[in-house]
Amino acid sequence: MTRAGAVARHLIATPAARTLGPFVPIVAAWAMVVELGVFPRAFFPGPLEVVRAFGDLVYKGILPAYLQDSVTRLAVGAAAGIALGVPFGLLVGLHAASYRFFWPIVIFFQAIGDIAWLPILLIWFGFTLTTMTFVIVYTVIFPVIFNTALGVRTIAPDMVRAAQSLGAGSHRILWEVLVPGALPNIITGLRNGLGYGWRALIAAEIIVGTSGIGFMMFDARRAGSVVEMILGMIVLGILWYVVDAGIVAPLERATIERWGLTKREA
Amino acid sequence: MGDGLIIRDLSKVYYDVYAGQHVAAVDRVSLQIATGEFVSILGPSGCGKTTLLNIVAGFIPPTHGEITLNGRRIQGPGPDRGVVFQSFALFPWKTVLDNVAFGLKMRGMPRDDRDRIAREYIALVGLAGSESRFPHELSGGMQQRVGVARVLANDPELMLMDEPFASVDAQTRMTLQEELTRIWEARQPTILFVTHDVEEAVFLANRVIVLSARPGRIRETLQVDLPRPRAWRDLVEDAAYKALVARVLSLVRTTPS
Repeated sequence: MTRAGAVARHLIATPAARTLGPFVPIVAAWAMVVELGVFPRAFFPGPLEVVRAFGDLVYKGILPAYLQDSVTRLAVGAAAGIALGVPFGLLVGLHAASYRFFWPIVIFFQAIGDIAWLPILLIWFGFTLTTMTFVIVYTVIFPVIFNTALGVRTIAPDMVRAAQSLGAGSHRILWEVLVPGALPNIITGLRNGLGYGWRALIAAEIIVGTSGIGFMMFDARRAGSVVEMILGMIVLGILWYVVDAGIVAPLERATIERWGLTKREA
Repeated sequence: MGDGLIIRDLSKVYYDVYAGQHVAAVDRVSLQIATGEFVSILGPSGCGKTTLLNIVAGFIPPTHGEITLNGRRIQGPGPDRGVVFQSFALFPWKTVLDNVAFGLKMRGMPRDDRDRIAREYIALVGLAGSESRFPHELSGGMQQRVGVARVLANDPELMLMDEPFASVDAQTRMTLQEELTRIWEARQPTILFVTHDVEEAVFLANRVIVLSARPGRIRETLQVDLPRPRAWRDLVEDAAYKALVARVLSLVRTTPS
């Protein structure tokens, strides 16, 4: 083996290369189709045009501002969704009478998809942050409720008994046993909720839009700027990857894996 | 009032959903465990011995009868009765140290004090050096040592052990049994130990109570006067031990069902 080979192998093993590597053939194929001129360039721009549009929109400050708007909306909505969903999930997961009362209501409202609320929300709140936040909270909250309730229901009864016979009262059991015991499920709910919420946000921005990535993409339609639409799609994918790899995955490593609550695949 | 555990005329009847009828799990059991005594309760599967332990622990209410511990009537679970579970029931999100210190934390003891006491008991069960490990990083035998230390550190008046060594391998089980007798001989905690293993019951206890098959009734109580300290190496060839095991075994086998 040559030294160059060893260096190449070393480079392939870096996290950045492992993440970006799979996209190399996709981008190459994309560029090739563009170069072959199968489609008119205005409808099907190549990677270089998208990169140029990216530079242009960053330079003008539009993309950073829109990105910030979208991420802020998601963060506010997700935080509110978790703050409401986790306690509610604990309540219906632990309290049988609450479960019997609330569960049909939860199922009913889950069926009314987030987007189906938009017409009435636009009448009530107009094209505002309230409308947008409502949609995201609505989307995030259901997976959080379901998974939190599942989490507390599947905690081994012996664990609660152990805490009781070590002198823990119901308040301490909630914080020392039930919440940490349900945390793996709560994180799963959070991951699903954020994923759905992110999609709902883009849809809401397209319809409600005054700013944001979804708005940018829909607005590009008026100018016939396919390059901005593709750029928006790429930004969506990258941003979600960053949220997942930068927030959700570290959270899982710090809790579920550290505590050995899931079997890591060998 | 240090008169230990007194169980008077205890019965438990529950409704079996699958059979569609009421079933008696424990039938008129009365027994007494003096402070500092080690008592094994032995019986075939389904004889109600775990039900009995769960009632004493306060996890389930009796249908009839009364239990007092050192003069106080038992109602619900409490830190005066520490339980060692067959499933270990450790908190996976807490380190060994925090698991063992849990009961002391519930009492509101400051961190430094409870950590010092927890370290003592971790050393007592032979796990010094594993304080900052998580339960999933330990073998089954080591996890149950944590389970024992967690209860001992909380200094209960009665220690309830529900087939605690049933889910570890045979070699480890013998080591754990010897360590439990060593701890008992050194500190004399009051122990109610439930098992279906005849040799384990005789090896550990001062007294073996044999229950009949369902509904669980006391069939016989045997005094175990084998000398201490006890070790498997000495007892396997011991005539008195072998005779006792044979006697208990015949009682368990001929239990009318």
